[in-house]
Amino acid sequence: MALYSRRRVLQGAGLLLASTALPSWSFAQDTPSGGRLIVAADSEPRNLNPAIVASNGVFFISSKVIEALAEADFEAEGGVVPRLAVSWEGSEDGLSATFKLREGVVWHDGQPFTSADVAFSAIEVWKPLQNLGRIVFANLESVDTPDDLTAVFNFSKPTPFQLLRNALPVVTSVLPRHLYEGTDIAANPANAALVGTGPFKFAEYRPGEYYRLERNAEYWGEGQPRLDEIIYRVLPDRAAAAGALEAEEIHLAAFSAVPLADLARISQVPGIEVVSKGYEGLTYQLVVEINHRRAELANVEVRRAIAHAIDKQFVIDTIFLGYAKPATGLVPQNAPEFYNPDVPQYDFDVAKANELLDAAGYPRGANGVRFSLKLLPAPYFNETRQFGDYLRQALAEIGIDAQLVNNDSAAHQKAVYTDHDFDLAVAPPVFRGDPAISTTILLRSGTPAGVSFSNQGGYANAEIDALIDQAAETVDTEARTALYNTLQEKVAEDLPLINVAEWGFITVARTSVLNVGNNPRWAVSNWADVALEQ
Amino acid sequence: MSAVRRFIGSPEGVIGALLLLVLAAIALLAPLLFPGDPLRIAGRPLLVPFADPAFPLGTDRLGRNVLAGLVHGARASLLVGIAAALVAVAIGAIIGTLAGFAGGLVDEALMRVVDAFQIVPGFLLALAFVSVAQPTLPVVIFAIALGAWTGPARLARAEVLSIRERDYVASARIIGMHPLEIALREVLPNAIPPVLALSAVIVAGAVLTEAALSFLGLGDPNIVTWGSMIAEGRSVLRSAPYLSIVPGLALVATVIGVYLFGEGLATMLARRDRA
Amino acid sequence: MNRALRLVGRRAISSIPVLLIVVVGTFFLLESASGDAVDAYLVSIGGGDAALVAQLRQSYGLDQSALSRLWLYLGSLLRFDLGWSVGFNRPIAGLILERLPNTLYLMGSATALSFVFGTLLGIVAGAKPGSLRDRVLSIGSLALYAVPSFWLGLVLSITFAVQLRWFPTSGIETIASGKEGLDRALDIARHLVLPVSALALIYLALFLRLMRAGMAEIWRLDFVRAARAKGLAPSRIVLRHVARNALLPVVTMLGLQAASMLGGSVVIESVFAIPGFGRLAQEAVGLRDAPLLMGIIVVSALLVICVNIVIDLIYVLLDPRVGASEVSS
Repeated sequence: MALYSRRRVLQGAGLLLASTALPSWSFAQDTPSGGRLIVAADSEPRNLNPAIVASNGVFFISSKVIEALAEADFEAEGGVVPRLAVSWEGSEDGLSATFKLREGVVWHDGQPFTSADVAFSAIEVWKPLQNLGRIVFANLESVDTPDDLTAVFNFSKPTPFQLLRNALPVVTSVLPRHLYEGTDIAANPANAALVGTGPFKFAEYRPGEYYRLERNAEYWGEGQPRLDEIIYRVLPDRAAAAGALEAEEIHLAAFSAVPLADLARISQVPGIEVVSKGYEGLTYQLVVEINHRRAELANVEVRRAIAHAIDKQFVIDTIFLGYAKPATGLVPQNAPEFYNPDVPQYDFDVAKANELLDAAGYPRGANGVRFSLKLLPAPYFNETRQFGDYLRQALAEIGIDAQLVNNDSAAHQKAVYTDHDFDLAVAPPVFRGDPAISTTILLRSGTPAGVSFSNQGGYANAEIDALIDQAAETVDTEARTALYNTLQEKVAEDLPLINVAEWGFITVARTSVLNVGNNPRWAVSNWADVALEQ
Repeated sequence: MSAVRRFIGSPEGVIGALLLLVLAAIALLAPLLFPGDPLRIAGRPLLVPFADPAFPLGTDRLGRNVLAGLVHGARASLLVGIAAALVAVAIGAIIGTLAGFAGGLVDEALMRVVDAFQIVPGFLLALAFVSVAQPTLPVVIFAIALGAWTGPARLARAEVLSIRERDYVASARIIGMHPLEIALREVLPNAIPPVLALSAVIVAGAVLTEAALSFLGLGDPNIVTWGSMIAEGRSVLRSAPYLSIVPGLALVATVIGVYLFGEGLATMLARRDRA
Repeated sequence: MNRALRLVGRRAISSIPVLLIVVVGTFFLLESASGDAVDAYLVSIGGGDAALVAQLRQSYGLDQSALSRLWLYLGSLLRFDLGWSVGFNRPIAGLILERLPNTLYLMGSATALSFVFGTLLGIVAGAKPGSLRDRVLSIGSLALYAVPSFWLGLVLSITFAVQLRWFPTSGIETIASGKEGLDRALDIARHLVLPVSALALIYLALFLRLMRAGMAEIWRLDFVRAARAKGLAPSRIVLRHVARNALLPVVTMLGLQAASMLGGSVVIESVFAIPGFGRLAQEAVGLRDAPLLMGIIVVSALLVICVNIVIDLIYVLLDPRVGASEVSS
């Protein structure tokens, strides 16, 4: 253990002061090394390449192998710390951004990592192929590489550096140019057998059973990684993860693989702890999507009545069992840079909701029903389905008869985002650190049908569109933030959609796993410092 | 009269019939016992049974009354079972009779279709069909029937083949009745009794299939069935086992009731045949 | 033997149109679904813009008409090529070959167990129809049959894997254990104990009740009365005459059960995280992967056909006249 440098120990000590309250954290001087960490995985992504598919399901595995330019952090200024890039700077006019890269990094196959890899990834992969990169790098024109360790991004239109920086952990996974250049990138074998610069190498995949990652002895992080192996064991049924943890067959289940309803019990089991930190940078929002093509729902008073009918506290306490926060508006509280609390609120008030509906001209009929709606809860999470069950009951209280439609993922996708065959839908969009990445698309009009997780409710508000477009090109951070503040007010007033709650996931781990949840995107970060007590 | 006596002769059949009578009574009285939507949020979530007299069997994760769900669930579960059996038997009887009566190429073609449905695992078929057509109660019923109609079809065909050479059919043919008319008026009624006995097995299977579909998230969310209650309860199987045990017991009682009743029916028919 | 060969040949030929119906039916079933493979993929990646969606549809071949895709698929099937899975991005034959053994272990052991124990207990119950022993056995097995399989699976797993730790909670073998040969076989067997028990307990009732009912019938037949009159030992009558003849419908049931067991494994494979056929089929439906689902159904249909051919052959061996001839001689 005496091998570790003074700098590292000091760094550790500094962090320790800042974060004494976090669970099971330990630092270089006393961290054990070695061991095989076994983790539950509930799905097997079709494409494991994070540079093409920027999604949490992919990152959960691939982020240990392929690194991004930067990673999110609780403490750092701007919320991100260096990974493959050591520093970054945006130009005044927003037309370029310069990244200085880390020295001495090698790919898992031994080739050196250089700025050419970054330039190739940006131009050939992130911008044309990646689901989120297509938005963030829409105006990227070229990447200059004046030397091996400098990459300069040039944009055709001003691109706010704030957006770029916030997006770094998600959209900038760097691929090895020497393996991808001149090939069909989408069909490259390295999309399955990943090659990266990360702390772990991709070793083995047994479909339906497990993924195995091995320690990368050449990793640039000093004394890292701590583990010898990480194994992702495929457990599709949710009850299986809890059982396997208790039977000590696995060490850790992230992304709420253990159902919330089982947490109170499992937290009592000796040797197991429930950790809710480590998801601050991947906040999911519980949202009611509204189809504004329905005459009743095009009336803002009806939308307000629905907002008044929802008891957010009940949703938090009963559906999320306390592991969520009530939403006050479009941006979650976990994004303090943008969060604006001073927006109109709709308290739980059934009487008021009924009054609003009466006044709007929708009296109750003979059977107590004002009108009927089709309600489509997204099937992706237990909680979205349960909220659908709850919303149906809440709407019944105000005389709206909501018929639940239970679709599987593909059918839900088609019904809501292509066919617009819904009146209300329950969606779990993700806030990815900046409203421009995947949040404003929920409001902007003019998105063609078929684009998932976007405004497909037919909502069109020129004022809101203008705010979104202006913010997208505003380079000045303060001015841009102010625009988003105004946007939040307008949205809360007009309710194009109703934000109900915000939640992060829960990790359940054996207490022998150290350094769980120590950054805001922990589950999808590189786990270089995760260790296992023997 | 003698049929009833023969039925009473088998104690299993009587037990089954009694069980079913009780269930049917509960199912019919459900709207009177617990008016309103059984999925309504009625109280504090996760109340244990026998703690609050207002909720003798406790409440579930959202605070819904388990007893109300159980009673209304009897309705939905029996409906699924009986409707699925009716649909399966109807399709099977029609196709089987047609095949048996028409013979030749038509018979050959129809029996290949029967084979095709028989070699595809019924549950897989139901799963695919429900995923594709959206889980509503009628879809679930039809999907279950899709996997169950081949048995009645084979039975009906065999029955028709044995009957069609009998005298009254031959005489009907001589007096110039249309083959289809003969099939519907003479042959079908005779083929039905044994098919009915088979249908008890289908009812029991259908109730269980519905539960398994609910487990996979393929139930109708607007209706409470025992299957959906068990599936809901499984995520708290360790901390609130009563949520899946209570509807589970109801399911077991129903399946046993239906099965025994069916067996009683079969015994009765067997005795009639011998008589 | 000639008779057996002819039987196999006839069966094989008549199964071709059946398979064709199955394939075309499956194709159009998935084709009529709301949402296609691209929709399913988009959900898993968290969405994409319109150009990406169009590009994906093209690369999946979904821009072609349904009929031309079906035609292509049938053509490749004739060349014994099961095609490419868009959902898993792999050749389907490989996927199926990987999963098939797991399902065969699971279904094979469960069927064998429930058949053997079901018939044995059925003989015990049917030796004396109407006795207490008979009633307890037949109602008890029925109660097991009526328990939803996922629930039984979960309870077995919590009791014997989590609490007693006698068996692993899930999986088909210890992950990345490097075990080989006999060690590996034992490891797989240990993993299969709970899922096989869950399935076998459920299907036990079918065989038990059928055996018992068959025996009850045969007790009334003339040749049994004759055997009794001849003064043959009761155990000999039960086994050699009654049970042997009652076995025939049970063997038929075995064939019919093959298909339904494959379906029942969907739920058990999901509860015990076994990468088998049932789970693959469920995933294929979710991913709207029509070629994969067709591949799975074709292969399971072939399996069922094979099982039924074997059963037909067994039938020849178990000819009831064998038992009856002893009496009449």
